[in-house]
Order: sequence, then structure tokens, then C-alpha cells
Amino acid sequence: MVNGYSVSSLAEALEIRSSHSVVPYAGGTDLMVENRKGVEYLFLGKIPELRNITEDDEYIRIGAAVTFTQALEDKKVPDLMKEALKRIAAPAIRNAGTFGGNLGNGSAKADSVLIEFVSDAKLRLASRDKERIVDVDKFYLGRKKLDLGEDELILEVLLPKTGLDRYSYEKVGGRNALAISRVSFAGIFDEKDGRITKLAAAFGAVADTVLRYKDLEETMLGKTIEEARELKEKYLESYAERMVLTQGRVSAEYRKNVCMNLLGSFLAKFGI
Amino acid sequence: MEKISQSVVKKDHAPKVSGRSIYVADYPSEGVLCGKLLHSKVARAKILGVEVPKLPEGYFYVDARDVPGDNNVNIVLDDTPVFSRDTVEYIGEPIAMICGPDENEVARLRDECRVNYEEMEPVLDFRSAEEKFFDYHFGHGDVDKAFAEADKTYEEEFETGYQEQAYLETQGMMAEPEEGGRMFVHGSAQCAYYIHGAVMRALGCGPTGVHIKQDVTGGGFGGKEAFPSILGCQVAVAARKCGKPVRCVFDRREDMEYTSKRHPSLCRYKAAVRDGKVTALDIDVKFNAGAYSTLSAVVLQRGIIASPGIYNIPNVRVHGSAVKTNTSPCGAYRGFGGPQTFFAVEMLMSHIARDLGKEPLEFKKAHLVKQGDQTSTCGKYHFPVPIPEMIDEVVKESDFENKRREYAKAQTGRYRRGIGMSMYFHGAGFTGAGERDLIKAVAKLRKYEDGRVEILASNGDIGQGVRTTFPKIVANELNLPLEKVFYEHPDTARVPDSGPTVASRSLMIVGELLRRAAIKLREQWKDGEEQEVEEHYKEPDFVIPFYIDKFEGDAYPTYSWAVNAIELEVDTYTGVSKVLGAYGSFDVGTPVDYNVVMGQMEGGFLQGIGYASIEKMDYDSKGRIRNNSLSDYLIPTTKDVPKLKCMLHVEKYPDGPYGAKGAGELPLVGAPAAYLEAMEQALGGIELNHAPFTAEDTLRAVMKEVG
Repeated sequence: MVNGYSVSSLAEALEIRSSHSVVPYAGGTDLMVENRKGVEYLFLGKIPELRNITEDDEYIRIGAAVTFTQALEDKKVPDLMKEALKRIAAPAIRNAGTFGGNLGNGSAKADSVLIEFVSDAKLRLASRDKERIVDVDKFYLGRKKLDLGEDELILEVLLPKTGLDRYSYEKVGGRNALAISRVSFAGIFDEKDGRITKLAAAFGAVADTVLRYKDLEETMLGKTIEEARELKEKYLESYAERMVLTQGRVSAEYRKNVCMNLLGSFLAKFGI
Repeated sequence: MEKISQSVVKKDHAPKVSGRSIYVADYPSEGVLCGKLLHSKVARAKILGVEVPKLPEGYFYVDARDVPGDNNVNIVLDDTPVFSRDTVEYIGEPIAMICGPDENEVARLRDECRVNYEEMEPVLDFRSAEEKFFDYHFGHGDVDKAFAEADKTYEEEFETGYQEQAYLETQGMMAEPEEGGRMFVHGSAQCAYYIHGAVMRALGCGPTGVHIKQDVTGGGFGGKEAFPSILGCQVAVAARKCGKPVRCVFDRREDMEYTSKRHPSLCRYKAAVRDGKVTALDIDVKFNAGAYSTLSAVVLQRGIIASPGIYNIPNVRVHGSAVKTNTSPCGAYRGFGGPQTFFAVEMLMSHIARDLGKEPLEFKKAHLVKQGDQTSTCGKYHFPVPIPEMIDEVVKESDFENKRREYAKAQTGRYRRGIGMSMYFHGAGFTGAGERDLIKAVAKLRKYEDGRVEILASNGDIGQGVRTTFPKIVANELNLPLEKVFYEHPDTARVPDSGPTVASRSLMIVGELLRRAAIKLREQWKDGEEQEVEEHYKEPDFVIPFYIDKFEGDAYPTYSWAVNAIELEVDTYTGVSKVLGAYGSFDVGTPVDYNVVMGQMEGGFLQGIGYASIEKMDYDSKGRIRNNSLSDYLIPTTKDVPKLKCMLHVEKYPDGPYGAKGAGELPLVGAPAAYLEAMEQALGGIELNHAPFTAEDTLRAVMKEVG
């Protein structure tokens, strides 16, 4: 028996969220497997505002209850995100799984979340009484720990509209389908007038949260490709020093080697 | 294609795909008690006592003291207890069962049981395990002389890991006391009569005191050969004590951690070479049997008989042992000892060839056995060995020679390719004199007044299609439409013992009995009358009697043959490999149903590729299996081998129905060697010697090469 509240408006959902102890449910592909005993769910799949993909001047706005399949079929969603989405699990899971659920589950293995990290996405959160926007990397506090109040819901992912065209994406799973990421990597590169303006690299599934080292990235900004190439060895060394990875289904050593190889490959792809 | 090979819709297709089939877990729960096992949490200990929580009315605690007969499950030896004696020998060993009407309450009571252990140091590493359950020696020729006269000798060690059957339906059995004191046991199983014998013994009753029925079974792959005998005894003992039906269905975690898996192996091979040919093999095979002997004797026998491969080696010495460790007992799994030793010998031959500067394929071809040659046990290959033609088929289909040449060139990019090949047999039917001396299969046909014919035999359909292929054979001989012939899941109360559903024997052995029975019925057919005919197994005249004490004679009357090629692309940045193509030529004689056989070949081949690559299972320092879920133990999906090309090569066996031989196990056996040989080539010609070879192993090898 599953107990819960099925709501059709956001106001209603936020009201229940603030007055009851409920587990937000959008897709349920993780929750159904967990099969927690004695909890009540708040079913969010029927709230129209959460099921839309829209855009404004700055962002592609993806509702928390938008499924991966829906996003894959939407022209507004950038290719980088689609690369990650199309390798999630299998069609049935992609038909049900949602952006909000991927975030709310709190895992560093979440494939859509990696893209949100590397692209500096923001999240719109709301409770009955207030709304706020938070950077995705601030939202993740630690392993399965999120900056999400007991009374709050995730409403939207705000994905930057520009600057995501030159990228690398890699997912290393245990097999070609229905595989949880063992290592995932996303990198974004941009340049202007011969100088690097962006060199973002994010690593998923290798630590408690997605890893990204913005201070290291900054050391490359404003450099020419030539200069970056000279710095490359030292740059990679700094990453290797900083990355303390966890042992999981595969060893920490393996993960580290893969991360470094993929980072190196990303740099090489853009001439560095 | 022969008429008998033409595919029909499987008899159980509609109920299975529509979800109407009743599996053991599907019977209504009213009046049925749920049983849950109290498993040992330590690998080796004396049990000082169990503190059982206060049981509510209607709940029961069942243990060894409740076994009315013998607390030993009859498998090959009798060392496996129904419930623990005064010790536990592995994590998961069943100490007791809690039974009661409410599943959650049963789980709570079970979890509240406190077992007081006096722990002992467990033996976990089978390399250093000293206790041998089984120890066999055999051979022929003069091995010492061949080594003394050799130009060159080789020595190498090969290792393989566990493999989990990962059937869709977990283990589950149910026992129902019947009027007059008879016990009815049914569930997910391969061998109704094995369970029959075991339960009789546990209950201390005669053959009519118990009957066993196979329910619709969601896959076995060998995993339901012996284990249901143990679980069947447990639920029967519980039902006897409770006086009510008791059902125990494992959850996936229990199933993966505590039930039998493929034996991990360690094979040491020494080879003598003279004038470019292998003149002698000195082989030492060690299997990790786990805590109890279960089926290890027969798995080991099949493994060591195959250990010289399909090569004509004049001097052979084989030593095989199955050692005890404090881990889950290993048992039957498709291939039954063959995958381990064929992996070793195929890799060895390939390594020797390369050391001698030869292509492995040419080197192997120069050693192939042929019709009339002696087998490893001084029996005879009585029938043509079609391997050379099958090699040609696989070479052509996979473009093997061009690719092999191309990929041998230095590769430097991120992605590197390799292709490898293996060749092997699977001995069809029971090893040795089993069919003649132990099984003595009997099968019957019953014709009803309305002209329908029922097959009475004890072989269970576990997805391999015997509910369809047996009726096809009988209908063909009787010139009846297929709808008129039917075969239900066996119940030992109404069918004779035609033997277990194992060893790729059902179609070849029992199918032939049914074919002969059908001919007999045809000859005496009388319209409108009920009639019954019976057939008994008779060993073919050509068979050279087998003596297990000496390992001498025909271990098998005939062989199914196969050649596999696997082409890989390795990502040297991540260690992940992509199977670009898997090509197999399989000779299982005449396919009695083309689709059924192709399904078996493709499924088995894919399972073998999983065994070679991603299916890794291990225990920790305490002896606990860690990979106990389907997200921790991955098996390949269809997306992992999109190009899987299976071909049938038909070399008919005159004593099988229409020329059919054993089919089920063959396709799994050779994949690891083909996969690893491809991997070796992709990684620049290094030598590898263990399977599975995972992405981690691959990356480690790449890093080593880079330095």
C-alpha cells in the first residue's frame, strides 16, 4: 500500500508540503525501488507548472516534473544535456524519471545533475511562503544532503541558454544500458578573441557530490591556447592532487585514472 | 530446413507473455504460512544456542530438531544439512525457519532471533584450502618422458571467478500436507525426482509419502538443479511441524548471496612442446566447492575431462580437486565445469602459439581431434568432428583473418581493437555411465479416448522449451497436429522418472525415448481407446563403458561442438570494452525447433560474454558476498552485444531424435577465451589469464603498459 497526496496545483502541493511530513514524488524511479516503509508521498506529476519547459532571455527553464523523455524531444534543451539524458537507464525509466527527482535523490551519480553543475545552472525552490534561487553547487551540501527545507519543493532547473555548445561528455557505466554511472564527466570550453573564456570540468559519481574546481578552472581563463598548453601538465597535476575519490562499485584508483584520462582528453579536444 | 526444425509458437508462450502463468509465489496466501530462513551471519562457528523471541499464536520456529527423518540432504554425498547441525560453515547457512501467517511479522521474529556463535577462523581463500571434498587423477601416455624430451616447456596459471545464474524468478518452494499424511512439495525447480528423493529422506517416509511437482519456472541455468532439494526439505519439514502449507520464496539478495553459483577455479597447466607441437599436458584443476560438497563431484568431473580441450595431445596427466572453504556452496551452472577448463586450455594454446611465432588459429588447427581419435579418458570420438568447417564459417562471417592481421599492427589511439577465437565441445548428456547406471530414464505416453496424447516424463520446462519440443517429436511420429499432444509440468505422483533436467540431456536422451515410444504407440494405435506405452533408456551399443574410478572409457556418447569469435574495441581511457561482434557456429545436431535453439544459442553466448567481462562477484574478508543485487552484479543487456551472430552447423547424432544432440549449455562455454584473446590483441599482444576481465582490469593493464 502506498499512501500519499495527489495534487493538481502547485499551491496545494506547497500547502501540504508545509503542513505534513511528506516525501516529494516525481517519477518515482528511485523511490519505488527504495520502497520505504511508513512514509507518505506527495505526488507532483500532475502539476502543470512543473511539467513545462520554457525559456527566457537567460535560461532554459525545465520544470521539476519534466521527464527525461520529454526533455529529449524538446528543441530548447541543449545538446549537452541531451547527451547525458539519452544514456540514463533505459526508455521506461526515461519516460518516468524527472529532473526534480534526479536532484532530490541527492546522488552524485545523477546524470542530469552533472550537466547542471558544469553549466552553472540554478534551481528555483519554493515553500508556501517564499521562493528562492540557488546555485546547483550550493544546493548539494554533502552525500545525500541538500539545501532543501522540509517545507520546500524544487520547482525548476535554470539552465544557461548560451555557452554550452563546445563540450565533452562521457559516461562510464558497468554496461551499455540500465547502468548507474561509475564515472561521468562533462567539460565545457569557450574562447573569445583567441583567449579561453570558459574551461569548466565536472566529475560525477566519484565522490559524495559532483566535483568541480572553479579555482583551478580560473587559472586557465584569459590564456591563449598556446599558453594553456604550456600550463597543461601542471594543471592536470593540480587536479590529481585535489581529487580525493571514494571507493564504490569500482576502486578509487580506477576512478581517478579515468577522471584524469577524460580531463586530458577534454583539453586535447580543444587543442590544449 | 527439415520439417521438425521449423519453428512453432511455444506451448507456454501465451500464458507467459500475458502474465497468466502461476509461479510458486503466485498461489493465494490464504491458509499458507510464510517461511523465512534464519541464515548464519558468520562464516564458521559452533552454535551455542539460539534465543528465539516469544512467538505469537500460529507462529513456529523450525530447526534441525524438527526433521523427522535424516537431517542430511541427499545430493551426491549427504553432507549438506537440512538445517544446521551444531556448526555453521558459511555466511547464509540456514539455521532455522520461522513460519507464520504474516510476512512482516515473520521477518521481524526472524530478525529478533539471537544466535550465540563461538566463532572459528574461517577458510576463505581456496588457494590455501586444505580440505578436499574430491580428488581425482587420470591420464594417458608418458607425460614425464614427453617433458624430458621437450624442446620447450610452458607453465601457466589461469583463474576464473564466480558466476551467478541471475534467473528471473528467485528460488521458491512450497509444501502442503495432504490427507493421509502425504506431503506435496512444489515450486521453482529443474529436477522433480531429485527433490523427491531428498524430501523422502528428510521426512523419513517411503516414495508414496511425498510427491513433487514443478511449477512454472522462471529460469534455472543449473541453479535449480540441487538447491531446490535443500529448500524443498526445509519447507516440507516446516509444513510437517506446522500442519499447514508453508511457502518460502527468496528475495533477490538472499538468492544472490546464499544460493549456488559457478565454481571459481584455479588451473595450472604445464605443456611440453616438441617440433612445434604440444606433446604433453600436465594439468592441475582446483575448484572452490564452498562449504558443502553438493554437486562439486560431477562439476569437477566434467571440468577435468574437458581440460585438454579439443586437441589431440598424446600424453596427458590430469589432477582435479574440489576444496572446501567457508563460503556459499557452489553448484551447477550452464556448462558445468567446462567453461573453467576450456578457458584455461584455449588461452594456453594461444599463448604457446604466439610464443612459437604462430597464429593461434593455425596452431590449434594443427592439433585438432578428429573422428576415431582417442578422448582424454581413452574413449573414442565416434562421430565426425566438424570443427574445421565451423572454423571456416566463423572466419568468413567475422572476416577473422583480415581483422586479426589488421589489429595486430601497432595501435596508438584512444580506441583499440582485437579479435579472438575459441573452439570447444560440450559432452552431451550425463558424464560417464550416469545415464545407464544411475538415471535409467523411463518415459511414457498416454493416449486418451479422444485421441489426445499426454507425455509423461519428469523433465521440467525452464524456458528451454521442452513443453514444446517434446510434443513436436511425438506429434511428428504420430502424424498428429501439435495441439493433440501435450506435456504438463511434471508431478512425481503421475510421471515416471525420466531423469533430471540437466546436462543438456532432456531433448537428446528423453526426446529419443519419446520418439521411440511414439513409434510404438503408432504401431498399436486403436481409435477411441485409452492406451499407454513406455520406453526405457538403453545405452547405445557403440559406447565404450566408462569407469569413473579410472576415468576410462567414453565419458559421453557424443559431443556438441562450437567455434566462437569475438571482436572488441577497448577504450584505453576508461577501460570499457565494446563488443563489436560476437560470432558463433554451434553444432547441436538437428535443431528440433529452430527458434528455440537459436534463443538458447544467443542467450547462452551472451551469458558467456558476461562471464568473460562484467560479471564479477566476490566475498569480503569475512566471507560475505558483496555483489548481492542486480545493480551490484551486472549482467549484459542486448545493448551490450548488438551484433550477435549465431549459426547452426548440423552434424547429426544417430541416437538422438532426428539427429539432435545436447544444446542448452554449449553456447556459454567458449566466450571467455575468445573475449580474452581479443582483449590481448587490442592491448598490444600482452598475455592475460583471468576472467572476468573487467574495465578495471583493462585500465590497469593499459596503465602498466604506459608505465
